[in-house]
Amino acid sequence: MTASLKKISANKQAWFAYGMLLPSVVIMAVFMFWPFLYTIYLSFFDWNMIKPTKEFVGLQNYINVLKDPITYKVFWNSAVYIFILLVINFTVPYIFAFILDFVIGKMNGFYKSAFFLPAFISLVVGSILFTWILNPISGPVAIVMGWFGLEMPIWSKLDGWVIFVLSLITSWKIFGYNFILLYASINGISREIIEAARLDNVPLWKIFFHIVVPMSSATGIYIFIITIVQGLQFAFTPIKVITQGGPNYASSNVIYHAYHEAFVLYRTGHSAALSILTMVIFVILLILEFKYVERGIYYENK
Amino acid sequence: MKISKKVSVPWHIVFLITIFLLIFPIVFAVGSSFKTLQDAYNNPLSLFSLNPTLENYQTFFDSLPALQITLNTFLIASVVTIFKVVTSFLAAYAFVYFIFKGKNTLYFILISTIFLPFTVTMIPNYLIISNLGLSDSLWGVVLPQLADAMGIFLLTQALRTIPVSLIEVARLDDMSHWQIMRDIVLPLARPAVTSTSIWFFITAWNEYVWPVLILKSTENFTLPLALQMYISSEGGTNFTVAMAVSVITMIIPLALYLMFQRYIIGTFTSSGIK
Amino acid sequence: MKALTKFLLLCVCVVVLAACKDSEVGSAGDDAAASGEKVKIEYWHVNAETQGGKTVEELVEEFNAQSDTVEVVAKFNPDMYKGLMQNLQAEAAAGNAPAVVQIGWAFLDYFSNNFSYVEPQSIIDQHFEEDKTFLTDHFLPNVMDLAKNSEGSQVGIPYSLSNPVLYINRDLLREAGLDENGPKTWQEVQEFSEVIKEETGKYGFYLQEPADNWATQALLESNGAQMITDGKATFASAEGIEAYSLWADMIVKEETALHIGWDQGIQSFIDGNVAMLYTTIAQRSNVQNNAQFDVATVKSPAWEGKEVKLPAGGAMLAVTAQEEEQQKAAWEFMKFLYSVESVAKWTEGTGYVPPREGVADAENGLKQFLEENEMMQAAVDQMDVIVPWTSFPGDAGLQAEQLLLDVRDQILGGTITVEEGLTTTQEAINKLLE
Repeated sequence: MTASLKKISANKQAWFAYGMLLPSVVIMAVFMFWPFLYTIYLSFFDWNMIKPTKEFVGLQNYINVLKDPITYKVFWNSAVYIFILLVINFTVPYIFAFILDFVIGKMNGFYKSAFFLPAFISLVVGSILFTWILNPISGPVAIVMGWFGLEMPIWSKLDGWVIFVLSLITSWKIFGYNFILLYASINGISREIIEAARLDNVPLWKIFFHIVVPMSSATGIYIFIITIVQGLQFAFTPIKVITQGGPNYASSNVIYHAYHEAFVLYRTGHSAALSILTMVIFVILLILEFKYVERGIYYENK
Repeated sequence: MKISKKVSVPWHIVFLITIFLLIFPIVFAVGSSFKTLQDAYNNPLSLFSLNPTLENYQTFFDSLPALQITLNTFLIASVVTIFKVVTSFLAAYAFVYFIFKGKNTLYFILISTIFLPFTVTMIPNYLIISNLGLSDSLWGVVLPQLADAMGIFLLTQALRTIPVSLIEVARLDDMSHWQIMRDIVLPLARPAVTSTSIWFFITAWNEYVWPVLILKSTENFTLPLALQMYISSEGGTNFTVAMAVSVITMIIPLALYLMFQRYIIGTFTSSGIK
Repeated sequence: MKALTKFLLLCVCVVVLAACKDSEVGSAGDDAAASGEKVKIEYWHVNAETQGGKTVEELVEEFNAQSDTVEVVAKFNPDMYKGLMQNLQAEAAAGNAPAVVQIGWAFLDYFSNNFSYVEPQSIIDQHFEEDKTFLTDHFLPNVMDLAKNSEGSQVGIPYSLSNPVLYINRDLLREAGLDENGPKTWQEVQEFSEVIKEETGKYGFYLQEPADNWATQALLESNGAQMITDGKATFASAEGIEAYSLWADMIVKEETALHIGWDQGIQSFIDGNVAMLYTTIAQRSNVQNNAQFDVATVKSPAWEGKEVKLPAGGAMLAVTAQEEEQQKAAWEFMKFLYSVESVAKWTEGTGYVPPREGVADAENGLKQFLEENEMMQAAVDQMDVIVPWTSFPGDAGLQAEQLLLDVRDQILGGTITVEEGLTTTQEAINKLLE
């Protein structure tokens, strides 16, 4: 895109661009970057935010975080969350959007609205609601399962199950939004190419992978990234409301654990170090994305 | 394009099952909000009570300034949405259609804040808001939310799908940037702007962690905060009143969505550029 | 574009309207402050609507109506004492403090080590000659001791007092052919649960599992174990392990007790899927109002031949006001809250046990209420065996508490034996506390 852009910037209106960026930059500088720098600073201290003295401990917080087996547990859990959330909220809606647009075609207004509905509800509500609905002893689902002689596992206390169920609750909210965006993007793909492919009897899965996915990749990558990032942040709410990270950190993820250290145990330095490490890992992923994935993405103005 | 029924019918079934799973909790919430708490505890299978009651709604309206709280929530969500869409749109426009020094670096730095956990910003931001004398005020809740990386990221992605040639032509016609933005880019980016706005609105509407810290008096509460007043581990959660508050909380964004639905659906199906 | 424009216009209108309204409210408030010159103080509480939120509001309104000098603003903090502590932390970091706060017992040491507070008696001594003996006159020494930290400072005054009782589903007990008055000892709890499981197929027992060790402490210390001795954790004694094992066996081996989150456990008792529930008296009204079976409370079970010891639940009121005017106002407000009438109201609204004397049997107090709510009686009767809720000392106290929670999950999940779990956790805690 650079070649053609030069003409525009030939007007030497860079100042104009800075002006447009100013509001965002100012607000983010105050409410994002300053706290971020402050957190880096705090990660070198042993402090609880209110004690009059901060004790400088150098890299000790980082060493403690890296030595703590719980750290690895929550990072592993985060990976599991991300995997499940991606399957349910990236892969499935991608396929659904394609199917709705190309295979079904009918009733798409109804489907879209229905899929989108839970997105309006907060996860606090969702969490309370699912605590009741999925009560393994007394909830409606358990009762109906009981009719068929099935016993519902006490998921909130079982490793593995707990992440799975909390991911489902989180997905309940984000599925619809992701679906709508992917649908809009797929719907925007020029029909001629696909019609041609269909006339050549190209199977559906080939159309999906060779035409639809590449041509909707700009939205695709966006959904992919927000599902990873926001997914972990969204999962925070059900974790906090339902399990508080338990049993024994089996449902905790990095975001919740940073919260737990900072606001339950008041180990500000430890939490800061953990947050910074999390940031670093994600930013590395982002750099990789910029370097490798971005090249393959289809933008119409390329 | 004709697809045989053999293929489409199973998919309809899959879709309908998915919808059932997604909608069931909402129906359960609505049903519970019209039950007595005793009824909810003892008859979890009957979705709707035979003797529906409005007492849960009554409790909410009697014990809290419900209208004020709803208005507060609406205000906060609207202000945040409007500002955030504007700031994000301006930033995205600058990133896509201008070349300037430090562009890629700046973009990268701004976007990387997506990964900043809210635990990092909570206390420092509280200090700022408190020093500005804005604690326990709606502006205190709004201020830190006026710009964020998510919006810039989404809108930048969207604007990049608009052919630069259109802009070039416009520039050759001596259109100003404001004109281009208004007459060319904004209409073309409508789907993205709309979906972003909806998402911002819903997120701000349901935001809870930050307002808990800032707001103190019940007149300043937002709906998600009011909901907290019916949840207590020690005294027991009043599930049915909580569900009544939840129903009120979801009904307003939903009503807005339905009011503008024709437009929104139109936006999503008209495919940006054609 | 039209619809979007319309929507934006709508938003703008509402914003403008509200802004006008806001400024009115603002100026009205300023006027009042200028003319009335009331001292405005903040009172932070955790009382959701189900836990006396309404009562807090009424008491504050009543106080404000009768006071010419002080105006109290109540702030509700979600997520109980932990949530309040989080908000207090932020407020303190910003250099502010409310005047009166509720501090949960588990935070006693953390609070007193990290926040600046004033002992209520010292405010009284300075400014309120007439109230000099208020605290000694109206509070039992063992109750006042609950609010003393490990250094012996009287951090606050007990306000919300609860203790654990055993709720029983008499219908289920009868169905299983058991004594409908419930078990008296923990061994009986275990036996009862087995019979219930066999006879009715339902779970026998659920012991509350929130994010604290309150009920666990009751179970262990009643068997003669000590959570803490001379600043060192000592719960992994033979008695401690014996007590914990009974609970763990019921869950892991016998599968007669339920291992689940607090909300869901209580829900399952109320709808009749669990026969006995061991939890705080604060749940009484929730259980009483919603259970459709013959429900009763009995005193906390004992260990055969041993003395029952129950940690106090609830909170104290502490004064965090920094300026003299505010501190004076804080005591005026607290004195109001601790009057017989206010405490009676407080008890009725929250389901807590009255912290001060002369309320339970007074005509203007709780006499009638206790007669009408028999389920309260068990909790009132066991007030004499109340001990302080262990709050681990020092900066790592909260971490120590967390370690005990972690091991609870491991033991009840069956991944570790009671003996190994408690012993290693005790060692880890003692290392932390050093």
